[in-house]
Amino acid sequence: MYEIKISLTFQKQVYAIFFVIILSLVRGVTYSNEIGIALEAPIAILAFTFCADTYTQEIASKRLEIQRLYSMKKRIYCIYRRIVIQEIFLLVVAAASYGLFFLFQNPRTDGIGQSGLESEISQFLVYFAAISVTLGFWGLLSNLFSCFFQNMWAGIGGCLMLWMITNSSIGDRYFGAWNLFSYTFRKLENISDFSWICGKIVCICIGIMAVAVLPKIIEKRG
Amino acid sequence: MGIKIVDLTVTFRNKVTAIDHANLEIPKGIFGLLGENGAGKTTLMRVLTTVLSPTSGTVTLDGILYSKGNFEKIQRKIGYLPQEIDLYPSLSVQECLEYMGDLSGIPKQIYKERIRYYLEKTNLSEHSRKKMKQLSGGMKRRVGLIQALLNEPEFLIVDEPTTGLDPEERIRIRNLLVDFSEERTVLFSTHVVEDLVATCNQLAVMKKGKFLYSGNIKELLNQAKGHIWICKTKEEQVVRELEKKYHISSKQYVGDELQMKLISEAQPKIECSSCEATLEDAYIYIVNKEAYY
Repeated sequence: MYEIKISLTFQKQVYAIFFVIILSLVRGVTYSNEIGIALEAPIAILAFTFCADTYTQEIASKRLEIQRLYSMKKRIYCIYRRIVIQEIFLLVVAAASYGLFFLFQNPRTDGIGQSGLESEISQFLVYFAAISVTLGFWGLLSNLFSCFFQNMWAGIGGCLMLWMITNSSIGDRYFGAWNLFSYTFRKLENISDFSWICGKIVCICIGIMAVAVLPKIIEKRG
Repeated sequence: MGIKIVDLTVTFRNKVTAIDHANLEIPKGIFGLLGENGAGKTTLMRVLTTVLSPTSGTVTLDGILYSKGNFEKIQRKIGYLPQEIDLYPSLSVQECLEYMGDLSGIPKQIYKERIRYYLEKTNLSEHSRKKMKQLSGGMKRRVGLIQALLNEPEFLIVDEPTTGLDPEERIRIRNLLVDFSEERTVLFSTHVVEDLVATCNQLAVMKKGKFLYSGNIKELLNQAKGHIWICKTKEEQVVRELEKKYHISSKQYVGDELQMKLISEAQPKIECSSCEATLEDAYIYIVNKEAYY
């Protein structure tokens, strides 16, 4: 799998790991159920910066001129493979960063609705499911923007704008449970409220559309 | 068969015309492409590799018209080494070539065999485990050439393949291209005139998007015949005047005199003698011909 070496360079791995280490050191949490809230939005930034060069690295290095001689099917398959590799790596990093909060901050586990180990495990599993969707969404979107504008910074910039809108009180007020960061804005006191899943469904739908549109963009833009 | 270019024009969005109503036939064998920087050589190659679409005119490869519907068929017949390319720095030479072989759709067994063969031919076998980022410019160029050869293309386009190579390596690459060109077409773009002399019989000279010459090298040399002059002088003032009036293709101190090669339509008004034209002289003569009239 040469794609691993291409899409997960040493520098990228280092900055991703440093990012979550620093985050888990500086972002304070009191209770363990706040960890997901502390992680989701920053991890989204990591995802869209990490995946923005998935394909545009071919443009910057002029390899695209050779790539254009290859079949479209092979090229698209190659991009998807790189995205999957990066997303798996980010997922491992996101899971590890949850543990880092416990390691560095030793948060309390006796908050409202929290009752022992079982509750902690289910809390982590919910976080893991939500963060998987978040990572997938932001990774796919930044790659899509980058491919469309043929520029990595356009991918990062476009995602950053969307991030600022949705990760704000305005975004929460306007989109509510349908917000892309609905997991972050959920009410911690009401543990039986899963209405935030609507926001994740929006992420999944847009992500599927991004996967479907990508081949058309590559075909059109080269 | 080969490649046929008819009335080709490429104009960019900023209205710059890189190729201006150009016509050319590229037969089988090695075909040289010479021209100053910005003459339109790279644009022509980008059209031939289907990266760029012409504004007007037609291009055919072995009778297949360059059109969207035929691009896939054409792309399978082409191998391309661009002028600047940064191949996967985190992969080793072997890995990089295997990866590119896989992407070009060649069966694994075949591309592995070809990689071994070309690594040996380009003297890179002992560097096959080195990372691409650890290679010198010349070595990277050779790896780039191997990737272009991997699918055994019917039409190979190489843009300055010998840049950064030492003399021995240049000869090796030139010979490889000559061997490869048997029954195939190789478009060889370079600024190194020596490389063309050593490999091609046919060439085209480009200037400002137009072909000033296309045909046999001997014929090009014949055109320059009688327009290349050698003179010797000791006086600095004479040298300055000659430099103002004529194109000087070479200067060399012979004893205490300066020997100069001048390119002029008529015999210069100084003591001089006519001499044999080299391809470099002929090229300078052709690209500046208008200025002599």
